Amino acid sequence: MNYQAPVKTTLLEVRDLRTEFHTASGTVTAVDGVSFAIERGERVAVVGESGSGKSAMAMSILRLLTHPGKVAGGEVLLDGRDITKLSEGQLNAIRGRLVGTVFQDPMSSLDPVMRISKQMIEPIMRNLRLNREQARAEAIKWLGKVGIPEPERRIEAYPFEMSGGMRQRVMIAMALSCRPQLVIADEPTTALDVTIQAQIVEVLKNLTAEAGAAMMFITHDLGLVARFAHKVAVMYAGRIVEFGRVEDIFANPSHPYTQSLLGTIPSTSMLKSDRLPQIPGLPPDMRYPIVGCAFKERCAAAHDRCLREAPRLTDRGIDHRAACWSQHGLEHGATLKVERPERTNKPFEPDGSVVVELNALWKQFETSRKMVVKAVNGVNLRVHKGETLGIVGESGCGKSTVARLLLGLEKPTSGDIFISGRAQMVFQDPASSFNPKMTIGDIVAEPLVVRAQGNKAERLEAVRRLISQVGLDPAFAERYPHQLSGGQRQRVAVARALALNPSVVVADEPTSALDVSVRAQIINLLVDLKQELGISFVFISHDLLTVRYISDRIAVMYLGEVVEYGAAEEVFADPRHPYTKALIDAVPVPDPAIESRRTTTPLQGELPSPLNLPKGCAFASRCPMATDRCRAEKPSLPNHDLSRQVACHYAH
Amino acid sequence: MADITLTATPVPKAGLLAAIAAVFRHRALSSAKVRLALLILVPILALTILAPVLPIQKPLETNLRAMMQFPSIEHVFGTDKMGRDIFSRTLAGVQVSLLVGFSVAAIALVLGMLLGTLAGFYGGLIDRAIMTVVDIFLAFPSLLLAIGLVSVMGTGIVPVILAISLADVPRFIRLQRSQVLSLRSRAFIDAARTVDASQYWLMTRHIVPNTIAAMLVAASIAAANAILVEASLSFLGLGIMPPQPSLGNIVRDGQTYLEQAWWISTLPGVVILLIAVGLHFLSDGVRELLDPRSR
Repeated sequence: MNYQAPVKTTLLEVRDLRTEFHTASGTVTAVDGVSFAIERGERVAVVGESGSGKSAMAMSILRLLTHPGKVAGGEVLLDGRDITKLSEGQLNAIRGRLVGTVFQDPMSSLDPVMRISKQMIEPIMRNLRLNREQARAEAIKWLGKVGIPEPERRIEAYPFEMSGGMRQRVMIAMALSCRPQLVIADEPTTALDVTIQAQIVEVLKNLTAEAGAAMMFITHDLGLVARFAHKVAVMYAGRIVEFGRVEDIFANPSHPYTQSLLGTIPSTSMLKSDRLPQIPGLPPDMRYPIVGCAFKERCAAAHDRCLREAPRLTDRGIDHRAACWSQHGLEHGATLKVERPERTNKPFEPDGSVVVELNALWKQFETSRKMVVKAVNGVNLRVHKGETLGIVGESGCGKSTVARLLLGLEKPTSGDIFISGRAQMVFQDPASSFNPKMTIGDIVAEPLVVRAQGNKAERLEAVRRLISQVGLDPAFAERYPHQLSGGQRQRVAVARALALNPSVVVADEPTSALDVSVRAQIINLLVDLKQELGISFVFISHDLLTVRYISDRIAVMYLGEVVEYGAAEEVFADPRHPYTKALIDAVPVPDPAIESRRTTTPLQGELPSPLNLPKGCAFASRCPMATDRCRAEKPSLPNHDLSRQVACHYAH
Repeated sequence: MADITLTATPVPKAGLLAAIAAVFRHRALSSAKVRLALLILVPILALTILAPVLPIQKPLETNLRAMMQFPSIEHVFGTDKMGRDIFSRTLAGVQVSLLVGFSVAAIALVLGMLLGTLAGFYGGLIDRAIMTVVDIFLAFPSLLLAIGLVSVMGTGIVPVILAISLADVPRFIRLQRSQVLSLRSRAFIDAARTVDASQYWLMTRHIVPNTIAAMLVAASIAAANAILVEASLSFLGLGIMPPQPSLGNIVRDGQTYLEQAWWISTLPGVVILLIAVGLHFLSDGVRELLDPRSR
């Protein structure tokens, strides 16, 4: 990355920050002595698993912690002034004026009963000392800069009249409109589609570069880090374990945790037969004091000293520090743990028989105002035995509706669904897909009980077998969902889906609620099951790297239609539909060297409303190469038997 | 993977009885609110049960030689204008109160859960039919409604119970329906539907067990409220008719003599207050214990 800071002056310096949460079950030290500095014009990414203290750290800087959190010590110097000593009133003047904040959830961060104008104009008037007209002009200017179409009109909208992507852009415009010197963003694009994310990232990049503001952003997406950050802080168990320039962190990670994190992402060069490396175990319980290095239980390179003494950050190069006793972290060769389960029977060989067939499937919903939402418009798809079909597309493209149709949760408006055998589901959010009042054993046994299969003893046996099949201890049967971690719950969801020996398992975003390290475990599990049991999978996700890794074939959906279909490798290597190209372009690759070479022109605009579909090609309104023919005449997928299909007039 | 230790407290199992049992198994007594509630309610309950064997005058027995006496060891709460023992009458009144309170709570709970579940789960015509009636009932203040119903059905314990429960059931239906509506769209209902679970199964295994906690809390508040409404009705001369004692009609009797014998009204009034406060603390404590996330 050819980045040069104009003048190297420190804007924010955090020294030995400590944050504690006093809960009934003990004091949790969420941030345990964090020190770092951000220079003007610099973008620093903070990465780490959930619970690593990254959000608590960001909130502590501005003292925005809610009860029972409390900053227990340390200094935060903003432009040389220690803001931990300020009163709430003085601090309020700094929040907004000097420091802007963007939170993760655009749905709840704007006041739903206030027009955008009211929410934006008053802070600008107060902070920049402008009159109402000037402030309004300023607000409109910023809305335009973040890519809100027709900002003069949109400024009078209420938040509910805007989509999530729009709202997040409004949040960003609000954070930037008072010309802060520092922007703190907590997962600013996590809730958004990759295409919208790419747009917003470009906006933020340009804005920080123009205004010289510094930025600290929290994320778990390492691709985004590679695309966006100058420096990276890796957090684990409340501490920074590695800090450095983005190129050094990716090319030369020194801490075993950073090395493991980078290893768990499916890379583009990876072979399908390789298993994803995974980080074993779970982060430590922060209620108890940690003796030695916090990462020792999960580290392959841990030795005696790690058990006794916690390493401090030491220099590993220019601007590069890591907290590990060994100079290079995991040594080469003895790198990451790649578990391979012992196989009892030989892997399943696909025989080409069709398990799922969707023929001319249509689904329309009627809204309360008698309008028709066209969710799925003539989809033809096939899934072969033992094969994984990945369905990708932006939210609202109809991929989840296809899943619900497949499972019989919705009735198609027209068309037929053929499934040989049974379809089962693994849901997105394992927290809400279980009845909180049922034990894990009851949850896994439910399909058997409902179908009256076996007697009580046989079912108990089946439950134990299923739970061990997904890599959990059968003792988990006695527990309740809230006593399990996210990854464990998702394993249980898989066990339950397997109870009725399904021929196809539909997984709708099964890994998006999980941390990167756990995600690899679940993906490996699904791949193993596919090979062992010959089950077919329909894998729905917006995480294109994961879909590429796990799928044999891919269907790209846009506005309820399949616009491109083919073998996963081919579609990714040579996307033919302009939409597929745009999607793949929008996905940040976790490699700063590649990212700095890419010139991305993000897809503009958003998905058109499914209430009134365009007459011609659905994608024409956003397509860079659309012609009059595209707007008048609808391209269709050529022949459903071809192994590669593209619905575009101009695809070669 | 088994590196998460089981937390020490068991979680309520599905089912009403199991849920109640769970509350008492796990640290019910460690909640300050529950302790305070039991400290108030247990002695009152014990005295009420033991009333027949206590060495006190019978509630209906008169003693014209000891009228309007100030509280003493012999007559703990004093006597009224006919020389009846107020303490004994108060205990008999508490018996009536508790009977009314718990009957109303039970009727409202059962009918509310049944109709609310049906309305929320099936929607459509069933929902509209049930909710129209509910909305009409909810348009009247519950005390006024109870007064109206009692004046139609007559006085006595049974009409009072029926009147108060009828006034309470709509609120229970509403609460249950709203809970069912939000549960119905949860992913675990979809998960059960993908294995072809019947509607009966969905309602009894997934929906109802997740509504019990809130309904029990509502029921305990309704019990406290019913006791107050019964007292109000009896005070107005519409509920339990003298000479049968009820807290409300004892207070009413004493009202005329407030200046000469304040204890006739005041002491039973204090008992009403204690029962109401005790039940409110109990419901609050139970709510906290039933919520697995509050621990």
